[in-house]
Amino acid sequence: MSAEQGKRQLQKEATRERILRTAAAVYSERGFATPTNVITQEAGISHGSLFVHFSTREDLQISVLERFAQEVCDELHDLSVNNGSVEEMLRAHIGVLKNYELFYRNLVSETALLPRETRTLLVSVQSAMSHHFGTAVEQGQRNGTVKDLPLHMLFNIWIGLLHYYLQNGDLFAPGSSVLEQCGDELANSFSKLISK
Amino acid sequence: MKTCIACGMPMKDASEHAMNDPKKDYCIYCARPDGSMQSFDEKLESMADFIVRTQGFDRKAALRAAEDMMKKLPAWEGCF
Repeated sequence: MSAEQGKRQLQKEATRERILRTAAAVYSERGFATPTNVITQEAGISHGSLFVHFSTREDLQISVLERFAQEVCDELHDLSVNNGSVEEMLRAHIGVLKNYELFYRNLVSETALLPRETRTLLVSVQSAMSHHFGTAVEQGQRNGTVKDLPLHMLFNIWIGLLHYYLQNGDLFAPGSSVLEQCGDELANSFSKLISK
Repeated sequence: MKTCIACGMPMKDASEHAMNDPKKDYCIYCARPDGSMQSFDEKLESMADFIVRTQGFDRKAALRAAEDMMKKLPAWEGCF
């Protein structure tokens, strides 16, 4: 590859990166249905240039979501608490999601309208969390501190509670982060509910 | 940090690699008792079992979700 070709390749990669970052920010602020021309305006590139990098709007959405899923799975893995309590695990979960709060809120609110692959990515994120959640819950059940309820019910009740607060953040924490404002109460109350 | 080629789990330290061997590209959950990597069918079943157990999906939906996730993983590239 010549120096000129190398420079062009770097520019291409930088533009792709700018589109991905801008799209993630726009989806966080305005939702996944935001037209691509808004993204290109924000990114300061021509509309046609976006389609050099992503063949369709769905392709862009999936690429942004794949990156999100990878980052969240890595962070959940890093923060998994060895031999930690359920409450510690829940606080770690909230801690990771705080970094992506608006993006995640829009994702869970709009997932039914997004490509099927999106659903798979969300399942993979929940699978990563359920693995760490399950480890903490099963340890608590073995040592008699957590109620003997099916793991999937405990996990789904936690996710349901979390998503309800996220989707109604304007009621629970108007103008601020619902995870910041209510996260401790959610983790603490849920762990008390499932404790023996 | 490596990522398991068969399930996508990040592997932070040796104990997460099959047989505690950081040279292995797959994790402890994707290894058979003898340390070899599970087959496509074994992994599909075990991943679906995991989804049913932890997230309560219907079995068919869990198999479909597991298959969709496996489509993106390098170990199963030739299987679809």
